[in-house]
Amino acid sequence: MKSRILFFIVSILMTSCITVEICDESYESELVARFKTRHDGAPADTTVSVLTLYGIREGKSDSLLYNTKSASGFVVPLDPHHVYSRFVLQINDQTDTLVIPHHQEMYMISYTCGFGNLFTINDNIQSSSGLIKSDTIIKEMIDAEYEKDEEHIWLYL
Amino acid sequence: MQNMKRMKNISGSISKAALLLLALALFGPVSGQEVSGQDTLRTFGPRFGIDLARFLYILADPSEIGAEVSADFEIYKNIYPVIELGYSTISENEELFDYTSGGSYGRAGVDYNFLSRKDRSVHHTMTLGFRYGISVFTHSIENVVIPGGYWGDYLPEPYENSLTGHWLEIVGGLKTEIVPNLFLGWSLRYKFLLNPDMDPIMIPALIPGYGTGGENRIFGFSYSIFYKIPLFKK
Repeated sequence: MKSRILFFIVSILMTSCITVEICDESYESELVARFKTRHDGAPADTTVSVLTLYGIREGKSDSLLYNTKSASGFVVPLDPHHVYSRFVLQINDQTDTLVIPHHQEMYMISYTCGFGNLFTINDNIQSSSGLIKSDTIIKEMIDAEYEKDEEHIWLYL
Repeated sequence: MQNMKRMKNISGSISKAALLLLALALFGPVSGQEVSGQDTLRTFGPRFGIDLARFLYILADPSEIGAEVSADFEIYKNIYPVIELGYSTISENEELFDYTSGGSYGRAGVDYNFLSRKDRSVHHTMTLGFRYGISVFTHSIENVVIPGGYWGDYLPEPYENSLTGHWLEIVGGLKTEIVPNLFLGWSLRYKFLLNPDMDPIMIPALIPGYGTGGENRIFGFSYSIFYKIPLFKK
């Protein structure tokens, strides 16, 4: 009889422990780019005085991602609908179109949150003018979990 | 730019365990009952069982359906080789995807009875044993939506994968003979998943026979009724 009472009490306690799970994760996989210059062949951080940036979205109007003074880089979401993401950068008075090729696969963030996109950047990043002189891929894989101090590409000005 | 989405999902696994424990408390053979009318000979034969807990689980989580049967035989004093077979399916409609998983499973192992008996005709057992489990199943998702603020929502193609899960279990439990050859019993299981990374895209929400694929170690319960075919006595 004591055992039955113990089972009953445990049942009540466990019933009261039902949890509610809440998703606080981001779904957008964001590329982190840093501006660099070369000093004696070695990369060095640099800051631009004015940065305007927007993505080229087919069938949609342009929408600014950045319009700021003094930027050492930018953080932008990648386009899951194409195998590339295209951005127009305006630094000071110069304009360049940056094309970042990539492929993607979905991955599970969690059952509560659902799925996100895992992008892999290809190494033939292109720019249309001489504003961006070269690039270096630091980390080719980009998921929806943003980590502090994470960097994916360096853009040399 | 951060698209923050808040969703709520009430976990059903705890309520399943609570429901099962409640049933055990009210109806279970927690203490052994003496069976009258038996002679002093011990009967031997295959014992077949069906897991009643599967039906209680449906009350706690109607999206999960399954059944399990078992068979054991005392081949040597207190040694019971065991085979358990079953199937299980789950179908869940989440806010951002629909998920299904289903398949069959089998477990094989041995139980050792360490309940001393004064009378050979008493067949109650208190056992400790182990199992190796294997599950062959398919899981899939469809109607997936990956929210995207700037570029718009992305709708991937449906995904399906056929998988095989392997695990080990430590099993302890009781079986009480309530009338000659008819047993009620429960078991508590601690399971170790051997290949948790079986699918790089999606963790299985249900590995039939094991449980939630996101847990590398997990408890399980079963509450079964058994019938032993008394083939011979000695």
